[in-house]
Amino acid sequence: MIQVTNLHKSFGEVHALRGVTFHAPDGQITGLLGPNGAGKTTTLRVLYTLLAPDVGDAFVDGFDVRAQALQVQERIGALPDARGVYPRLTARENVRYYGRLHGLDNAALEPRIDALIELLDMHDIAERRADGFSTGERLKVAIARAIIHDPANVLLDEPTNGLDVMSTRAMRDTIRRLRDEGRCVLFSSHIMQEVAVLCDHIVIIARGKVVGAGSPDELRRIANTDDLEDAFVDIIGTEEGLE
Amino acid sequence: MSGVTVVFFKELVDNLRDRRSLFSTLGYALLGPGIILLLIVVMGNMFSEEMEKPLELPVSGRENAPALVQFLKQRNVVLQDAPADPREAVRKGDVDVVLIIPDDYGEDFGAGQPATVQIVADSSRTSAMPNAQRARNLVEQYARQTGALRLLARGVSPTVVNAVSVETVDVSTPQSQALIFLSMLPYFLVMAVFLGGATVIIDMTAGERERNSLEPLLINPIERWQLVLGKLLASLPFSTATLIASLAAFAAVFNVFPVERFMGMQLSVDVLALLNIFLICLPMVFLAGALQMVIATFTRTHKEAQTYVNWLPLIPALPGMALAFLPVKPTVWAMLIPTFGQQMLINQLMRGEVLDSAHVLVSIVSTLLVAGALILVAIHLYGREDILFGKK
Repeated sequence: MIQVTNLHKSFGEVHALRGVTFHAPDGQITGLLGPNGAGKTTTLRVLYTLLAPDVGDAFVDGFDVRAQALQVQERIGALPDARGVYPRLTARENVRYYGRLHGLDNAALEPRIDALIELLDMHDIAERRADGFSTGERLKVAIARAIIHDPANVLLDEPTNGLDVMSTRAMRDTIRRLRDEGRCVLFSSHIMQEVAVLCDHIVIIARGKVVGAGSPDELRRIANTDDLEDAFVDIIGTEEGLE
Repeated sequence: MSGVTVVFFKELVDNLRDRRSLFSTLGYALLGPGIILLLIVVMGNMFSEEMEKPLELPVSGRENAPALVQFLKQRNVVLQDAPADPREAVRKGDVDVVLIIPDDYGEDFGAGQPATVQIVADSSRTSAMPNAQRARNLVEQYARQTGALRLLARGVSPTVVNAVSVETVDVSTPQSQALIFLSMLPYFLVMAVFLGGATVIIDMTAGERERNSLEPLLINPIERWQLVLGKLLASLPFSTATLIASLAAFAAVFNVFPVERFMGMQLSVDVLALLNIFLICLPMVFLAGALQMVIATFTRTHKEAQTYVNWLPLIPALPGMALAFLPVKPTVWAMLIPTFGQQMLINQLMRGEVLDSAHVLVSIVSTLLVAGALILVAIHLYGREDILFGKK
């Protein structure tokens, strides 16, 4: 469960966040939708404790991202915008490193890695060094290591970026499965169709502010149109950056 | 396993698989010994060849001093025609030295006045100096011999002109003459320490950011100080290995390689001295790692980090090079300066001197304190938000 209240964040002159507030409950997929540069990545970075907000609060399962960073990090699995893997380690070793950083001992860790290899269909790459992996293969490793500690909250920053059709479908299945397991899934995207097919709850961000929130149906009602794309454009007030 | 251990083992395995870091470790270790070996062979050959060969001496105005010419011929000198412009020829390096016998030589000589000859040489050209020195010695020898004969002819014993006879007693052993080469060793060891772990540290810091694996790493529940310490510790085996390989190579050059054939004497460094040198260098391993960590954290890319870190060994080089020319006495104040104190202590060990234990202690403690402060700086830098972007 994630609760974000009135986040503000500036980088020098750039006012990246100007009051972001939303709630992402467990067992639901919450989508952060907005054009490029709207503040999605900055919001997520606050949630995974890498950036401290200038104003406002963010809580993960009741833990403050500023004061209780370690507890927050134990409860989130994150796929950030940067998702590099270690090219000289095998897929399995990459995942194992993160498991150990989470303090898992071998007895718990190895069965968990095997389960993730099974779940994400990584058998053919598990023992190969990551050097030369395709974007899809690297993404599988990044997902596996993000959820190696079985986190209750999963944060995904543009998870389908750069994927082909088959990988995108597999990714969507994974996201749904994470939701069905009762986790709080928060993912960001600038692709409207993707958010529309996946999300139970949509938070629309533009220019550092939340400009609309609700289920797909609610958003259609607010904008008074049957077409979701028209609804988005209406709410954001511009077509800029949406696909 | 604690966070530090997890990071340490991952980075160790990761970097051991990197051929580049293994080659650079070995390469930097052999650089210093290689240069010294080359110098011994080249300079040794130069000296021995110059000494055995007959001196080829261009002489102008030979007809003015037949006796001197005869004297030179007897002393294994091959007389050659002088170039048209002796000064220019020497300046350009066409000939090492030219002897000029002026036209009024014979007149002065006959009158018992000091007859002047000129030796044209370029003192800035080291390779020409042995020949110039030989020519000068021969002429002086002739002057003394002729002077003595003149005194005898007048019934005076030549010894009366020697009011004071200077006898130089050279106490330098072959070993201390060889110290010219050995005085370069401390600096090469410092360089090995500073370069040995550099590739690994750049890969773990600037490289990690450039490969986009830093941001996901920082999301794991691990304190930043654990991360910094784990990475720093993982670099130490590489820099320590470079140091050991470097010492072993020096030992091989001095103890195994037939230096005597080139230098006319054998160098040797005993195992105990090597061990002591190793121990004195160890605190610098921490210092180098911490300093490189701080620098690599500032820089944006792998390449940028490499540029800075590769220049780093030049900083300890400056006092070290001064040491080769200006003999500074080892004092507590000198020991306070990290890398400088170590170079002095190594020099003392090479000379077989007994170290002052206070000096050793001051050197170790001050180096470790500076290293500790740098580690704190690195941890601070890793705690900042900007670590994600690599900005200042």
